[in-house]
Amino acid sequence: MARQDALQGSLPLLVLKILARRGPLHGYAIAVQIEGMSDDILRVEEGSLYPALHRMEEAGWIKAKWATTESKRRVRAYDVTAAGRKQLEGEIVRWRSITAAVDAVLEQA
Amino acid sequence: MSWFSRLTNAIRPDRLDRDLEAELRFHLEARAEEAVRRGAGPQDAAREARLRLGNALHTRETSRDARLMPWLESLLKDVRFGLRMLRKDSTVTAAALASLALAMGAALAAFALVDALLLRPLPVDQPERLVQLTTLDKRDPHENHTFSYPLFERCRQAARGQLDLFAISNQYPEPVVFGNSGGREEKLRVLYASGNTLPALGTRPALGRLLNADDDLHPGAHPVAVASYDFWMRRFGGDPAVLGRWLRIGTRQFRIVGVTEKRFTGIEPGKRTDLWVPMMMWSVPEDLSSPDSTMFAVLGRLKPRVTAEEARPVLQVVYANFLRERSAEFRADESRAVVDSFLHGSLRVVPAPNGPSRLRETFARPLWILAAVAGLLLLLACSNLANLFTARALAREREMALRISIGAGRARLLRQLLVEGALLAVAASVLAAVFAAVAAPTLVGLLSTTDTPAYLDLHTDWRMTTFLLSACTAATLLFALLPALRASGVSPSDALKSGGRQSARTGTLRPMLVAQIAFSFVVLFVGGLLLMSFRQLTQVDLGFIPKGVVLVRVEATDPNPFSSSYFVPAARVAALQLVDRIRELPGVRSAALCEFGFFSGGWMTDSIRIDGRAPDDDGVAALPASPGFLDAMGVRLLEGRSFAPADIASVPSVVLVNQAFARRYYPGQDPLGKHFTFAVRDGDLAQEVVGVVKDVRLQSVRDPAPPTIFVPLRRLDSTLAVRADGDPWSVVPLVRQQIRGFGHSLRDGDVALQSALVDDDMVRERLLALLAGFFALAALALVGVGLYGVLSHSVVRRTKEIGIRMALGAKQSSVVKLILREIAVVSSVGLAIGLVLGRLLARPVESLLYEVKPGDLGSLALPLALLLFAAALAAVRPAWRAARVEPAIALRNE
Repeated sequence: MARQDALQGSLPLLVLKILARRGPLHGYAIAVQIEGMSDDILRVEEGSLYPALHRMEEAGWIKAKWATTESKRRVRAYDVTAAGRKQLEGEIVRWRSITAAVDAVLEQA
Repeated sequence: MSWFSRLTNAIRPDRLDRDLEAELRFHLEARAEEAVRRGAGPQDAAREARLRLGNALHTRETSRDARLMPWLESLLKDVRFGLRMLRKDSTVTAAALASLALAMGAALAAFALVDALLLRPLPVDQPERLVQLTTLDKRDPHENHTFSYPLFERCRQAARGQLDLFAISNQYPEPVVFGNSGGREEKLRVLYASGNTLPALGTRPALGRLLNADDDLHPGAHPVAVASYDFWMRRFGGDPAVLGRWLRIGTRQFRIVGVTEKRFTGIEPGKRTDLWVPMMMWSVPEDLSSPDSTMFAVLGRLKPRVTAEEARPVLQVVYANFLRERSAEFRADESRAVVDSFLHGSLRVVPAPNGPSRLRETFARPLWILAAVAGLLLLLACSNLANLFTARALAREREMALRISIGAGRARLLRQLLVEGALLAVAASVLAAVFAAVAAPTLVGLLSTTDTPAYLDLHTDWRMTTFLLSACTAATLLFALLPALRASGVSPSDALKSGGRQSARTGTLRPMLVAQIAFSFVVLFVGGLLLMSFRQLTQVDLGFIPKGVVLVRVEATDPNPFSSSYFVPAARVAALQLVDRIRELPGVRSAALCEFGFFSGGWMTDSIRIDGRAPDDDGVAALPASPGFLDAMGVRLLEGRSFAPADIASVPSVVLVNQAFARRYYPGQDPLGKHFTFAVRDGDLAQEVVGVVKDVRLQSVRDPAPPTIFVPLRRLDSTLAVRADGDPWSVVPLVRQQIRGFGHSLRDGDVALQSALVDDDMVRERLLALLAGFFALAALALVGVGLYGVLSHSVVRRTKEIGIRMALGAKQSSVVKLILREIAVVSSVGLAIGLVLGRLLARPVESLLYEVKPGDLGSLALPLALLLFAAALAAVRPAWRAARVEPAIALRNE
């Protein structure tokens, strides 16, 4: 059911990591968090954030429910699931190995 | 989340849509608020938010696709659209649905029968390892399926290493009385079987035990019976207390020791067994030791890793030895050729995964033919629908072109049209299943005869479902794919440029019409042959008058049916008295006693010896009858005299012979007063011919009368043949009463109408004629409707052309000719193809026909005339409409 190649780049990794630490957040908050924590270097493609969230939800990595904010507005809040945490570990290992490989190339070239 | 949520989302996408909308709206608002907090104006803020989100519609659609099964959702859209299109043309849809449902139902019913009788293996373990033994004599083209018990025993012993052989009897209804039932007699279907039969079949008991090898040891010493599951349910409601119950078959007591498992419905498709009884309990013990009593079917289960081929040699040796021993009993003057052919008989081991079946032998070919005809009917219905879809697609050409030009993919259009077809096919399948559920059991009922009710297990299983599903798919592809391919292949620029003028591409309709006419010709042709054959059969002069005669068994109640008390001279006198009493009953025209009624399946064969003639072994049919028999049966006496009461005791015994006998044994002579003898082991019995009667067909309407003699009846327990003035059933109660009140330990037994026995002989032909007639009518209706539809369509399309022609001075008659030429061309090509196809199918049909030849002028002319008539009828209205085209109006339409 989960098609990894369908998840673009590192977006799932970032989303999972943020949800794992700050848990339940709505889509806008996720985007803001990513930007804030990376000093605006990583700006989320907002157009691809929501499809990614829905795909991850279908994959069972995150779950969503409707919640009400302090300003009494209905938002769809996402949180990571057990399967999502496992996936996160995998993603982190994968990401580390890729960056390590890229570093190695940069240093030797 | 799972496929299930995606499935429900696809079926009900509204909620999903609302959620996605709300989520994105919140995002935009939050982003805008943030911009406002940073000091932007509200309009700039909203704009920035929208820019950062990008294409909101695309985002929503992509998120949406992640949450449901996009293909399913668009398929559902197609279904809804298809339903709307079908509803738009509700009359046409209803007609199409009805014809397809009818054809599919017929095909499904035919399949149900073919499957139950011919294809489905027995419900036992590894049915593919079951075999049947048959023998073949060079002089006889038919395989023989019956063995004597001694031969079976030897085969079983010799081939123990290769296969597990068992013998079963034919199954007859027998009178059975259960203990504690107040002596009520029930007719139950009892099958005598070797003890190892059920274990060898791989059947398990539902209750108690099955028969086993220990029940195979000593004749008469195993008074046990096993009930079938079905019988246990029907008669005892599944009560486990059935174990240990006593029952009486004839004069012998049996105890029920077990019940077979539920899935095992019997060994012979077409027949239900109530009770399984050890072969050792066969009612005539002599049959188990006599090599002359060949009456048992021998089947077996191959041992693991043994093939039928490997099992054959050892059995062949046994059979050859057996034949050699038997040949010692030939008379010394027997012809060399007969002995040789006898000695070279061969034994075969034939696969029998679906058991032996007499019903199958009779009905295999007719059922295949019916299945083929039903298949043709289905093709016919499909081509009709294909025409309809093509016509509809042509009418929607502009819609298609428009949709393609605004970006709909061809595949999408193709799917839309196929879905429309599939909807129709699925609806037709449902109706067809209902139709078949009613029709199939009715057909089985038609296979039944008076004393052998046919029973076929017709429950719906995966085989039926698979068949229906594949028929449904095949039908959809057949009738919807081609039109859909054409319609979706439309070139938008051409279709739109032509400015509403519809292209005249009716060409593809013609091959379909040709196919329709060809198929319907074949159906009509085959149907006509079968109907004519049945008509011929019903017109055969049987040599007697079955109508009005009722046969009543007069049974012995004496425990020993061979008791001499039924044979002594006093009994013979009593027999005459009984007949006299019956004759005096009101409503009875004439009556007589006989050993067998005609067509009751029984006669005695005797070899006769005539001085000065070489002996032959073909034998003559001998029918014992009392005085008055000829009158009662309506057999004409041609010469000499009939039996007189005094003939019972006359010496030499007197006989009546039929024409076939006279022709064969006394060619060119007057048989009256001639003498011959019966060849029996304990001395020859002299006979004198006193009368010659007309030939009477004894067993089958098809077979001419064999050489037959009538001899005086010499026993009391026999059959009363009573000819009534009116309805023969009306005299039955009186006759029964007379028999019961007559004394001499007699009682009244089974009753059968002589005419019903004759009808039973034609059960196959009647069934075929009935169904063939039904199929022929359906085919005629289908082809008529198809032709009409296409012709009307073509007239509408050619309205402008016709208008121009008429404006240029064409007469109405030439316009009509235009239409008629179209139908004439199509019909003649179709008929030519139909003739070729018909000839192909006629070959397997031929052997079922009686005095009808597939090449006859009549058999060709009738379907031809009917088809042309249907075509003409279908052409009337379109032609009339074409002739009425007003040039001015037709051209103004532009």
